[in-house]
Amino acid sequence: MGVIIGPRVIEAGLSLQLAWLSPLPVAAGYPSPAQDYFDGRIDLNAHLIKDITSTFVVRVTGDSMERAGISDGDELIVNRALEPRDGSVVVAVLDGELTIKRLRITATGVVLQAENPKYPDIRVPALSELTIWGVATRCLHHV
Amino acid sequence: MSKPATMRQMPEIAHVDVNCFYASAERVFDPSLEGKPLIVLSNNDGCAVARSPEAKALGIQTGEPWFKLAPRAKEWGLIAKSSNYELYGDISARVMELLGRYSAWLEVYSIDEAFLGVKGTPERLLELGRTIKAAAARNVGVPVCVGIARTKTLAKLANKWAKHNPAFGGVCRWDSVPPRQQEALMARLSVIEIWGVATRITKRLNAMGIHSILDLQRADPVRIRERFSVVMMRTVLELQGTPCIPMEEARIGRDQLIFSRSFSTPITSTRDLRQVLSVYAQMASARLAKHELQAKLLTAFAGTSHFNARQTAFPSVCVPLPMPTADPVILTKAAHALLPSIVEGTRYARAGIMVTDLRPSGNQKPLEHFENPHEERRIGTLLEDVTKRYGRGSIGLGHAGIRGGPDWTMKRGMRSPRYTTHWDELPRVKAA
Repeated sequence: MGVIIGPRVIEAGLSLQLAWLSPLPVAAGYPSPAQDYFDGRIDLNAHLIKDITSTFVVRVTGDSMERAGISDGDELIVNRALEPRDGSVVVAVLDGELTIKRLRITATGVVLQAENPKYPDIRVPALSELTIWGVATRCLHHV
Repeated sequence: MSKPATMRQMPEIAHVDVNCFYASAERVFDPSLEGKPLIVLSNNDGCAVARSPEAKALGIQTGEPWFKLAPRAKEWGLIAKSSNYELYGDISARVMELLGRYSAWLEVYSIDEAFLGVKGTPERLLELGRTIKAAAARNVGVPVCVGIARTKTLAKLANKWAKHNPAFGGVCRWDSVPPRQQEALMARLSVIEIWGVATRITKRLNAMGIHSILDLQRADPVRIRERFSVVMMRTVLELQGTPCIPMEEARIGRDQLIFSRSFSTPITSTRDLRQVLSVYAQMASARLAKHELQAKLLTAFAGTSHFNARQTAFPSVCVPLPMPTADPVILTKAAHALLPSIVEGTRYARAGIMVTDLRPSGNQKPLEHFENPHEERRIGTLLEDVTKRYGRGSIGLGHAGIRGGPDWTMKRGMRSPRYTTHWDELPRVKAA
């Protein structure tokens, strides 16, 4: 996973020191604080959700993301705080609906791609004209 | 004339609240509601309790009965939602957790507003306000406004100003506004617009020749105390810039009840915090019973002190209650759901509980047996064990207990899914 960005620019006096000590998300691979405890079983919340405040679980309807391993009925873990980048699987707001797509940011523009040849790409003039609801970090695929 | 640097760095108070909270919470998971007139209805779909700006623009008033609005809803494009307190409670908890990152001094004031202690240069404070606004929009998905001032009363007023005047971009620091503009605003607004001034008092103030906020600000605090109360005098002093409204410990509002307190000595153990939460839950229970109310949702929270900037934590948990209740055992158990998030050794300086989704207890008198708190202890444990084994709703107190009790009769036909608290009601994302 890429670098995860937490709340930014917190500088007013007192808050400055606090900001980075608060439960900020960390890059994957960093040892989880949960590993300090040996008295419990694996807690999926601790491992799959880095920022509980901005993380939501959503359910997929449709097959347009099949090639990314995301199927109809799967649950996705979506973090609203993440910066969407080229290649991110994002939940975007399209025509008032939450829609899951692969985000492509290239020199020629911004494209929302399906991961299924049946569905056409959606070109967007600029990232600023797109409402990204959140960035998917995990898929809970039904096997 | 510039003030010395130390003067400009006095601690200030930020008041943050979510715009049209219930309507905004609904919009997080249903962007199609964006830009449309939306109202949220009271329990039993009785009347409008929250309105989106578009609904306000239609002239719909808070408290307007739904049966009067329903015939015209289609023509207006008005969308009504039954209240979804589990959703609002969870979104509220997320907002409060987020705010906790920006200040170690956080007073959760209601389901949708909080006071934060902040410090810094005027520019930094404004920047902080904008950062908070952006973070709430991005991390949680709700719009907030921020008012920053030397006192709580002025911070509330600044917030109101920020909401109504788009020029502020949702963030207003009182002292950053030229005094002439402050005065113009205060002269324009009636005293009733001030936090804590009721209609009854307004009439008496008017009789004294005090009509606008500016009139009140210029009033003699001593005279106000003589004619009214020390509470009213505090309001005057606060308007003049002298902070004197302390942290409040208990409040009952239209749709929520809060118990929260700072500790003289920080609490560092789960055991002690368990006791504190138990006491609050029992206080909440007593207060609910006194007002003949029952709650359906409980939020428990704790926070570290701003004196200990090296260790901050603001755990918060939102617990849907198995039935509308004022029962001390059930409320206590629910409050204890916070305990797993408590880190042993962390110095918690305050804790609290909030109960929401309140409704009249009606004539559902509990069996006398259940009214005795000593008897209830064991029953509470038994209930919990049975619930753990056989699931929620398998056992309950009296005839109010099983499967929602009074909820049977509750109309909630237009409720949106409980997106964040029920696995079978998760938000849907389209892959098409």
